Amino acid sequence: MNAAIDARIDARIDATFEPSAQPALGVIDLLLRDRAAILARIRAGTGVPALLRAMIGTIAVTMTIVGAALGSYRGGIQIAYAAIKLPLVLLGTAALSAPALSAIGAALGRRSRLAADITLVMAALAFGSLLLVACTPLIMLGREMDLEYHRMILATVVMFSIAGVAALRVIWRAVALEAAPGWRTAIAGMCAVFALVGGQLSWALRPYLVRPRAPEAPFVRAVEGSLFDSISDELDSARGIYTRDSAPLPDVRQ
Amino acid sequence: MTVALEAPFPVPSRLAMMMAALGPIAIGGILATRAGALTPIVAAPAIVFGVVAATAPALYIATAAAGHAPRLSVAARAFGVALGAFGIALAGLILPAAFLAMSSVSAMTTIVATTGALAGAAHLGLRRLARELDVGATVVGVLVFVTWSVATAGIAGRLWWDLAVEVVS
Repeated sequence: MNAAIDARIDARIDATFEPSAQPALGVIDLLLRDRAAILARIRAGTGVPALLRAMIGTIAVTMTIVGAALGSYRGGIQIAYAAIKLPLVLLGTAALSAPALSAIGAALGRRSRLAADITLVMAALAFGSLLLVACTPLIMLGREMDLEYHRMILATVVMFSIAGVAALRVIWRAVALEAAPGWRTAIAGMCAVFALVGGQLSWALRPYLVRPRAPEAPFVRAVEGSLFDSISDELDSARGIYTRDSAPLPDVRQ
Repeated sequence: MTVALEAPFPVPSRLAMMMAALGPIAIGGILATRAGALTPIVAAPAIVFGVVAATAPALYIATAAAGHAPRLSVAARAFGVALGAFGIALAGLILPAAFLAMSSVSAMTTIVATTGALAGAAHLGLRRLARELDVGATVVGVLVFVTWSVATAGIAGRLWWDLAVEVVS
């Protein structure tokens, strides 16, 4: 039974990784339809560089689209700013966090391979990115319906949370298959590092979603406060509890 | 007390020990950059290796007295593996810790990030030591190991925290 499944996966992988096949689109299709095949390829360590390139490309393109959609809430230059920054956040966070999976696993005796682990994390994030790009029509709907700013932010958080859980599930499934010592700790450690680094990097490169009436759309804001202060303030604002008199308004020209 | 004799790491043991030696220096370097003082670069490895060297005999004596100690050579190997595990784990946490420290305006973030990296790596090193010494085989072994771990981590943690707060203030 298992041999039959392996043979089916191998045949699918071989077909996908044929030189004549369209590598990037084939890999994306495989990622959406048959993640077991992708995970098997990573575990076997074959075709990893091509897979990694395809995943990085997928993340870059999809997050550019998602960023542009978020930027369109305000419009103008913010579309370009958010489209540039969002892929940087995800790829930067992955680059900084993926080695933690290898290192923590190796410390506990897991047969870690850095290239394979980075590819695995990128594959999981590419899957999450694809789910997010599928949510783009919802972002555009919110924009067309003039959804209130704080509700739009919370809706975005929900979408990113769903994509994040889906991506984590891919990593969990892949590492669990190894059944190596300390695999749960390795995943938990990587998640903690990813959350901290991702939170800080996205905070440093904010804003992505800007009020339509905002007078200016800076590429990045000055470093101030902390991410956790901001989350607390945002929840208060969504409940109608404001800590300032009003949001900034455009200059009134005489 | 029986001892596991498996291949310790997917990297050469010598490389793991090098990571254990350089990791605390790097973490000290992050704190030193924020503080503008060189002390943490020297103090961090001194705390890690000094505290382990000072308390390791206590673990051996306590387990021997309880009738569960492995041979001295085996215990020494277990400590080597645990230090290697500490070094490998720390190598994976240095980059995130450096990023968190450098991208924040708060000195406390630097302290928390570097302390978190050291604490995480130390936790994994202790877990590896427990496995290498097979302390879970007996209740007495677990009690002795947990007591020793708390004492060792407490001493090292206090020394590190005092140093960190002093140099950044």
